Amino acid sequence: MVAQLFLNGLVTGLLLALPALALTLVFGVLKFANFAVGAMLTLGAYAAWVANTQLGLSLPASAAVAATTVALTGIVSDQLVFERLKNRDSISLLVASMGLSLVLENVCRFFLGNASRSFEVPISRPMRWEGLRINQEQITTALTVCVCLVLVHLLLRHSPLGRAMRAVADNPSLAATRGVDRRLIARLTWALVGALIGLAGVLAGLDRSIDPQIGWNYQIPIFAAAILGGLGSPVGAVAGALIIGLAEEMSALVIPTNYRQIVSFTVILVLLLFRSNGLLSAKAVRK
Amino acid sequence: MIPYLITIAILVIIAALIGLALNLQWGLAGLVNFGVVGFVAIGAYTTALTAPSIGWFPAMVLAALVAAALSAGLALLSIRLEENYLAIITIGFGEAVRLAILNEGWLTNGALGIANIQRPLAGLTERFGGDIVFVVFALGVLAVVFVALEGWTRAPFGRALRAIRDDATISAALGKPVFALRVRAFAIGGAAMGLAGALQAFYLTYIDPSQFSAIVTSYAFMAVIAGGRGSNVGLLVGAGSIMALLEGTRFLKDFISVIDGVQLSALRLALIGVGIILLLILRPQGLVPEARRKAADVLAKSREAA
Repeated sequence: MVAQLFLNGLVTGLLLALPALALTLVFGVLKFANFAVGAMLTLGAYAAWVANTQLGLSLPASAAVAATTVALTGIVSDQLVFERLKNRDSISLLVASMGLSLVLENVCRFFLGNASRSFEVPISRPMRWEGLRINQEQITTALTVCVCLVLVHLLLRHSPLGRAMRAVADNPSLAATRGVDRRLIARLTWALVGALIGLAGVLAGLDRSIDPQIGWNYQIPIFAAAILGGLGSPVGAVAGALIIGLAEEMSALVIPTNYRQIVSFTVILVLLLFRSNGLLSAKAVRK
Repeated sequence: MIPYLITIAILVIIAALIGLALNLQWGLAGLVNFGVVGFVAIGAYTTALTAPSIGWFPAMVLAALVAAALSAGLALLSIRLEENYLAIITIGFGEAVRLAILNEGWLTNGALGIANIQRPLAGLTERFGGDIVFVVFALGVLAVVFVALEGWTRAPFGRALRAIRDDATISAALGKPVFALRVRAFAIGGAAMGLAGALQAFYLTYIDPSQFSAIVTSYAFMAVIAGGRGSNVGLLVGAGSIMALLEGTRFLKDFISVIDGVQLSALRLALIGVGIILLLILRPQGLVPEARRKAADVLAKSREAA
């Protein structure tokens, strides 16, 4: 039982890792918390669903459609909304992203309604190993996320784009002086972040039914994971996501599962009270 | 047509009340609160649960007090945090309230909600044209809250809050008790949200958890941004008209047959999102900007006097 919950928690944590990473990257480069992360995840799930069931594409192809759709949405929102607000305080950007979140979620609702949907994938029998039940979806999720994390790591650490992103995150004016084009970096960040969230949407759609609220269910855990890792720290976000995932699943041992959703809220409340810098980073969070 | 207008009027009054509360917390004191709906829900449930035994007026007072107490408690825990963190803590609070209401069926009747809530002045309602009485009552509550908040805004309390919002460090250096003032602002805002919840419970005479979704919070933010952060008059004028327009579209479904009810509500919510973004970009100071005295005015006067 405990081992099973641990396994489930690990997979839930991996699923949270992609959007938490996305949240933290936007915070690092553009200096605001993107409230629309949940709604973008919803958009990704629906884009993949349309590609999968309406256009008859395979799931990997649908996932590519989802990643592209959300990446484009990210770039367009940056152009239309966030770029125009770039000189405001971070809370204006946060509120604007709340507005964006309403727009995205309700565009999905407008065209596809409130009904629950699911992908057309063959139902497969869970594998059993040492008394553990391991679903096919869990394996897919774990593998996809691990590949993405390795790719993002390579991109951030060993590519000119990654170096430029880290430079802008670290010190925007110095980066500008050295000839790093902030506009271009912002767009590329949105593209990367959108692709990550879109993929997470597909994985979420495998795990549960797709409805307009699917992203909202992950909203607090995603924020909790990114805050736990110290906003702006990519490694921290992934570690935070794993901890939140484990905490959520393991909480079933002590509290009713109805309250699972507030586990992550409690975790960050306690964390912020006692260690306000997150686990790994040292950014000031107190006024 | 008249019942439509009355419904719109009351929904706008409730939204304006919530907007005024958020305007104190966020507009005046600079404390972002994404858990607005949680406090409204607490007010509504407190009223619905206690009104039958202690009467409508004590129940409303209790709703305001309970919401204020929880608000102060949350503020004590988290108000020192930087904005982005305060934002997520308050979202989490809103969700926690929703889950508690949904799952503690012994108290709140869970997803089924509480029905048959008695309205205040029910006797009068029979005699004078039905719901009009309730509109007057709701307007009265709104007026009391508005006068109180406007008084506080002009008082040293409001000035200190604005100073803290603009620069907490300088205010602290000038001897303002920054932390205590922030907690008080948050608590007073919470009380007004509780009252809004009470009105909602009385008007609908039925409450369930689905009424208290994050949309309520978005409405409040839209109202504050539209009105102009920190300006109570702006909130009533600007927000009132925009809310009336948005609420008005609720009834379009009787006249439009091309799109169904779900699509219409989706369209309305998307419009709120677009509205928030457009107002932030095009008119960040709101429709009625906060009144500010320029340093030169004050200085010129003191020079004349001297």
